[in-house]
Amino acid sequence: MGVTCVSQIPVAEGKSVQQTVEMLTRKLELLGAEKQGTFCVDCETYHTATTTMGNPAQPGKLMYVMHSSEYPLSCFALFENGPCLITDTNFDVLMMKLKGFFQNAKANKIESRGTRYQFCDFLVKIGTVTMGPSARGISVEVEYCPCVVANDCWNLMMEFMQSFMGSHTPGIPSVFGSKHDSVYSPADTMIQYMELLNKIRKQQQVSSTGMR
Amino acid sequence: MADVMNVGVNLEAFSQAINAIQALRSSVTRVFDCLKDGMKNKRTLESREKAFIAEFQDNLHSVNRDLNELERLSHLVGKPSENHPLHNSGLLSLDPVQDKTPLYSQLLQAYKWSNKAASQQMVEEDVGTMGRRRRFRPEREVWRPEEPEPKSPAEGMDMAEMDTMIQLQYHAGLASGLLNQQSLKRSANQMGVSAKRRPKAQPTTLVLPPQYVDDVISRIDRMFPEMTIHLSRPNGSSAMLLVTLGKVLKVIVVMRSLFIDRTIVKGYNENIYTEDGKLDIWSKSNYQVFQKVTDHATTALLHYQLPQMPDVVVRSFMTWLRSYIRLFQAPCQRCGKFLQDGLPPTWRDFRTLEAFHDTCRQ
Amino acid sequence: MEAPPVTVMPVTGGTINMMEYLLQGSVLDQSLESLLHRLRGLCDNMEPEAFVDHEMMFLLKGQQASPFVLKARRSIDKAGIPWHLRYLGQPEMGDKNRHALVRNCVDIATSDNLTEFLLEMGFRMDHEFVAKGHIFRKGIMKVVVCKIFRILIPGNTDNIEPLSLSYLVELSMVAPAGQDTVSDEMRSFAEQLKPLVHLEKIDPKRLT
Repeated sequence: MGVTCVSQIPVAEGKSVQQTVEMLTRKLELLGAEKQGTFCVDCETYHTATTTMGNPAQPGKLMYVMHSSEYPLSCFALFENGPCLITDTNFDVLMMKLKGFFQNAKANKIESRGTRYQFCDFLVKIGTVTMGPSARGISVEVEYCPCVVANDCWNLMMEFMQSFMGSHTPGIPSVFGSKHDSVYSPADTMIQYMELLNKIRKQQQVSSTGMR
Repeated sequence: MADVMNVGVNLEAFSQAINAIQALRSSVTRVFDCLKDGMKNKRTLESREKAFIAEFQDNLHSVNRDLNELERLSHLVGKPSENHPLHNSGLLSLDPVQDKTPLYSQLLQAYKWSNKAASQQMVEEDVGTMGRRRRFRPEREVWRPEEPEPKSPAEGMDMAEMDTMIQLQYHAGLASGLLNQQSLKRSANQMGVSAKRRPKAQPTTLVLPPQYVDDVISRIDRMFPEMTIHLSRPNGSSAMLLVTLGKVLKVIVVMRSLFIDRTIVKGYNENIYTEDGKLDIWSKSNYQVFQKVTDHATTALLHYQLPQMPDVVVRSFMTWLRSYIRLFQAPCQRCGKFLQDGLPPTWRDFRTLEAFHDTCRQ
Repeated sequence: MEAPPVTVMPVTGGTINMMEYLLQGSVLDQSLESLLHRLRGLCDNMEPEAFVDHEMMFLLKGQQASPFVLKARRSIDKAGIPWHLRYLGQPEMGDKNRHALVRNCVDIATSDNLTEFLLEMGFRMDHEFVAKGHIFRKGIMKVVVCKIFRILIPGNTDNIEPLSLSYLVELSMVAPAGQDTVSDEMRSFAEQLKPLVHLEKIDPKRLT
């Protein structure tokens, strides 16, 4: 897995989510990127049932269970500001057995679905973030595959992102700060997605919704 | 034993021996035919058995006789001559498929050429040191594999090409020594000494003990902290180096004694082993940036050359390679940008080690 | 660099329940060699694998009377192998005729930070031990012969002492629910190991 940056692009003024996505993909295709299939990232929320651990004062923790089509046989379980566990898909079966202790907030399930583009050694995934039936925003994931040390190639990635995202180019992701020189792992990408999807969930609904 | 007299005797006995082999073969066939046919039809069981056993015994006796005859003749034929004037290379001339694999004729040609080159060099030494410098360009023939290269065990070179290469290298060495000489030598003694002392048949820089190669590599390994070199010899005597540069890239270097033959550059997270767990020295990188760096590394191999001091060559190549530690961090010195067609600056200048895009270099 | 073959959302956790069938027994140290010898002959033609594993038991106490139990297992001698998380349900109290202990089982492979994650989820470690032994295979049946070691200092797997003078022998199989014929296969295999070791169904409830 190469170094990845996940960010959000705001919906263009007066346009719908789908039209903004089309504008972006057209810019990418002008650059010379090739379409290469689709992707999907989804996130489910579990919260601890009350009075576990025998301590009623402790607030319930939120656990996120995510899946990504790039790693179809894996499941990512993480806590905000906590560890991220990479497991195989049987983890979902385990969560079903843990129904008495962790409740699935089904209404909070959020996912991002879209197309993958490849440009030279870059992999760009532009996805529409949906929660239930409504589209809530646009996620952009840019991966530079050959490099595995996060802080090495940030400038390079920023230059690439500026060429098609323009002024919406994000700043350096917070997970890069704690990486120093260690090798980048898929868990870091999922942490970025979790932060982004949480942010989108808390935002106001987009004015022109319902279009997918 | 290779006189004319014995050759005549040998040939006689040889043809008789061949006849004896044919006789032996037919008698053995008769034995098995007799067994296959089984017992012949006779009045009583006893007489049938007796006839069968008698026939079987007759056949075995004839086999025995033929075998003894063959042994006697084989002693007469004798061994082939021990003083082979051509040693092992003469055995190549016995190849029955001469037109498909003309190794022996190519070998003879290469030998003749090298002799001519050596004698020409002798003439140059006699003449050239009197201030007249004869221009001679040592052309190093680079063997490039055609894509895709099959997984040949002996690096794809046949013997004749190998010999030609060795002679060329030797020649190049001598010529470079010649070019580096001071041209103002007037003393005849110098010339006379070198004319008398015949140069050795093999250049010394090629017949290096593997221990020496190991020592050189381990010294270079210690030179740079961010570069680690691991040496292995999975395919015979040529060394294979796995150079890991920080967390940026991995380079597989295939060597022939202390000369670098070819290199492949791959990403840090790419798989460098085949399914059997051996080092994969053929497959290219999956990433365009490292495919470009591989091409540049091959160019660097052509640039850094010094036939007399191959360890200096290896050292300079490694120094040049080390400049790639900042492959993703350094912008291009010419245009100032990081990306050109999606590639970072992959070219490193051979003298200054500055980073340039492939399209930005002078 | 191409898209993975699955382009739609991956199926989240099949509803196929896997059941574990188990028979257990033990042999004294002296009889170990003859048992290994017989197993080498009976089982599939491959060298028996030796293993050294560190297993930890985690409990999550909740409102229910019985806590939720999870077992986390990691390899000490082999590097690069994922951790193994296992959930075992209550034994099915079905037929008395059923020859093996049957429990619902969920096996999950995880990354190295499993302990940290379970603690974050609210689990607490109940106990841990080290198991050293051999594993044999016959078809989908697995025979594990191992010695259990007690860990003297928590977290330190070098300081261990054996729990008893015998080896634990477990014959197990994981199969989808509803296939009861497998327990007959297990019983016939167990017959072949008599009289070296008697493998039988041991009800965990009867142990204290």
